[in-house]
Amino acid sequence: MSKFTRRQFLQSSSAAALFAATPGLAYSQVVGGGGPFSDYRALVCLFMFGGNDSFNMLVPTSDAEYAAYQNSRQNLSIAQQDLLPINPVTGAENISLGLHPSMGALKSLVDSGQAAFIANVGPLVQPTTLAQYQSKAVALPPQLFSHNDQQDQWHSLKGNNVSKTGWAGRMADLIRTNVTDQQMATNASLFGTNLFQSADETIAYVMGPQGPVQFEGFSTDPESILYEQRQAFRRIVDAQYDSIYERGFADVQKRAIDAADTVSAAIDSAPILNTAFPQGQLGTQLQTVARLIAVHGDLQMKRQVFFVAAGGFDSHDDQNDNQPGLLGNISDCVGAFQSAMVELGLAQNVTLFTQSDFGRTLTSNGDGTDHAWGGHQFVVGGNVAGNNVFGNYPVPEIGGPEDVGGGRFIPSTSADQYAATLARWFGIEDADLDVVAPNLSNFATRDLGFMIG
Amino acid sequence: MRYTKLISIMAPLLVSLAGCGGGGDNSGSPPPPPPPVAITKAEAFQFLNQTTFGATEPEAQRVINMRYEAWIDDQLRKVPSLQLPHLQSLAAPGVMPFQLQADRVDIWFRNALHGDDQLRQRVAFALSEIFVVSHIGSSLNNQPWSLGSYYDTLAQHAFGNFRDLMEAVTLHPAMGVYLSMLGNEKPNPALNIRPDENYARELMQLFSIGLVELDIDGSVRTDDQGAPIPTYDQSIIEGFAHVFTGWTYADAPSFRLARPTYTNQVQPMQLYPEFHDSGEKILLNGTVLPAGQTGQQDLTGALDNIFEHDNVGPFIAIRLIQRLTASNPSPGYVERVARVFNDNGAGVRGDLGAVVKAILMDVEARPAMHMEIDGKVKEPLLRLTQLWRAYDAQSSSGRYPLLASYIFFGQGPLQSPSVFNFFSPFYAPPGEIRDNSLVAPELAIATEYQNTLVTNYFFYQAFALNHTSGTLEEDDVFINFQQEMDTASDTDALIDMVAGKLLGGEISGTLRTEISGMLARVPDADAAIRAAETIYLIATSPEFAYQR
Repeated sequence: MSKFTRRQFLQSSSAAALFAATPGLAYSQVVGGGGPFSDYRALVCLFMFGGNDSFNMLVPTSDAEYAAYQNSRQNLSIAQQDLLPINPVTGAENISLGLHPSMGALKSLVDSGQAAFIANVGPLVQPTTLAQYQSKAVALPPQLFSHNDQQDQWHSLKGNNVSKTGWAGRMADLIRTNVTDQQMATNASLFGTNLFQSADETIAYVMGPQGPVQFEGFSTDPESILYEQRQAFRRIVDAQYDSIYERGFADVQKRAIDAADTVSAAIDSAPILNTAFPQGQLGTQLQTVARLIAVHGDLQMKRQVFFVAAGGFDSHDDQNDNQPGLLGNISDCVGAFQSAMVELGLAQNVTLFTQSDFGRTLTSNGDGTDHAWGGHQFVVGGNVAGNNVFGNYPVPEIGGPEDVGGGRFIPSTSADQYAATLARWFGIEDADLDVVAPNLSNFATRDLGFMIG
Repeated sequence: MRYTKLISIMAPLLVSLAGCGGGGDNSGSPPPPPPPVAITKAEAFQFLNQTTFGATEPEAQRVINMRYEAWIDDQLRKVPSLQLPHLQSLAAPGVMPFQLQADRVDIWFRNALHGDDQLRQRVAFALSEIFVVSHIGSSLNNQPWSLGSYYDTLAQHAFGNFRDLMEAVTLHPAMGVYLSMLGNEKPNPALNIRPDENYARELMQLFSIGLVELDIDGSVRTDDQGAPIPTYDQSIIEGFAHVFTGWTYADAPSFRLARPTYTNQVQPMQLYPEFHDSGEKILLNGTVLPAGQTGQQDLTGALDNIFEHDNVGPFIAIRLIQRLTASNPSPGYVERVARVFNDNGAGVRGDLGAVVKAILMDVEARPAMHMEIDGKVKEPLLRLTQLWRAYDAQSSSGRYPLLASYIFFGQGPLQSPSVFNFFSPFYAPPGEIRDNSLVAPELAIATEYQNTLVTNYFFYQAFALNHTSGTLEEDDVFINFQQEMDTASDTDALIDMVAGKLLGGEISGTLRTEISGMLARVPDADAAIRAAETIYLIATSPEFAYQR
């Protein structure tokens, strides 16, 4: 066994099978976790609900490739001269690329080396060619092109397995013995419950877009009758109940009471940021995340995963009218968030990354696009190997080698690889990456290389 | 857990068998049927929380007097309370029609609180969470009349036939706008344009058959590898997408120049034949629509094709059971309801009135013994309407324009964030519910954040928005607890009164003890505060959030 390292064992198929069969069994539960983390790291997942049409987010500008794109997209294509040119160092050697004209802030982040793209990424069980897809020769994620099923894929990376946990949830479970002093849960959502942060051992905390709300009529001053009110309320939700539904409801109330005071007090003490955030849901969510990151020391946080989201990306119709506002908002909000991280001196400690249900069809349905599969995502932060395109950027052309029909592209990079790269940066040990990303062992590259430090 | 469930289902059967006295004696005339066991107040409350927008003591007495089946039959005959006539009676707000969304929410509350067609309104609300359209994030925000008309369509078909409901929903311009069938054109290969797949996909996935094949009891069919069997693939979605081409607003100057007007947004969409694809279409179960059919022929064939699919019965049975009575129905419950969907006893498939009655009269909805997985979490909006009905809530303007319902309660009438409704039917919170492979859909929106907002709303409702408040705006909805104030100095009587109105008289020892403890700190003279405190603690309690 001496020559057979732990890493080799965990990469072996038997270990993969073991972990696939017992998704709740974290490696560090078996061997015991390491000590507390000394540094602070946070991941911010920005989910674009509905399926972002990323073929119009990252577009070829070189003539031949633009012509292929324009010929495929027709009335939904962006004019060549309107695209915002970027100059990635790697990943686009034989092609030139530009961003949607509404994404000036993102262009600045790319140009300054703070943002990178991962091209044509999506859920896969294993590497998949068009021939394998057509002959059903490989396992595929079930219910391709369906919103909720593919959201679940991005959240859980379960492939064709049954899984009730998400990859951020599994990360929180893996590190839970390293972060015992944390005053709030590792996982926090500002956009409701989600599978991404669902776990076996830990529970995500759901706050509002502006943070937690305080209970009215509760006081922490023991002299006040409103302190008694709080205690009575607490004893009511602590009582034994016969129904699973009463117990499930009461559990949420308990967590709400416990977290409201600590988190609210901390966020109220956060410094006023000079960075201005755009109005609206996403800007508000990211501003709140920035404020919570600012007070991570007060809450003794070492590792955090935040979930924020924007909706409206299901552009079946009126795409040309709606897309500039949708993508512009993403760009402006992300730009503000990164500015805030720089302002706080925490840019190297925080990485924001995007996910979305799926890419969309390259073909048009007249005034919009339909559900597809692979798409482009981006990551932003001081530890991102910025101004690069990772993965294989496909020429956006109907009938190409990735097109399963109608311009639905088979991903060339898997969501598991994307997640594992982020998880490694977050502090998950190599051996545990297979717990976070259960299909990772099916792919040759365990780290896409877009994170440094 | 399934075992205890079985016992609860079998209990009444065991009782009736025991009553046969020895058995084997089939020679004499059958014994006279025993007199029906009286319905208790708590049982009447359970029934009314399944069938109305909140149980009240007077209605509970009616149920006790009439008994369940007669009450249901009476409700099945009620004419629908509508929204559109009210909206059309108001002055049109010109260039800002979204202002009428508050009036649309207002008329929804009026019908929900005061309509005498409570069961129909409750089923319409359930249908609005299956056949979802919304003004949130949609251009329907500027079409309040269309949304009012759409809701009326659901109410009018609530006890009708599912096939008619499907067609009415499919051709309603609100759905046309929401899922972009409106304006969907035949392919144009020269421009790489193919039909929009949005409505085709969600009609099957969310409104009728779902993603995987189901047995009649709702369990998922698997292949010899143990994998669920998909109900359709991309080619079938494309077949239906081609069917749903050529429809837009009625009486438009032309297909492409169709724009919403006051009148066409409440009329069924119209076929513009030159924009309908005339090719062959592949549908479910190998059905092929031949080339050359009219758009209406294609539509009829396609909706028939879905309607006849084996999944519709169990699929709709589960969805409606979850909205009305139980989050985790047993396979037997699903099957009994699905069989009624398949045949109402008179050979008719899709009779929703019969389905609703089967859901409510089932032994699992009316259990003799209560099991820990019976029932469901109340939807937060229904917690509000129950409180308002119990305490005669009103505003001085007579209106209930709670447009921000979706913020305070995480849901509101036609206010879903997407076609996937406020919550998924499959949502399972971490912990014992998920660990036991059970679900609690409503808990998806019972987050720490949302629950606190609801708790705070009830705090303001009890302490500030009541009939003693002197500073109410004309649209502030306030509750009336004068009766409680008249009894307020008697702690036990006060608790009994509120528990009687909100919990059907069944209150846990803990809740009673804690309320008593708080009331001991409030002087008798502060009758309004004593009443408000009691209502607040009961309305925010886990037992009030639970629908038995």
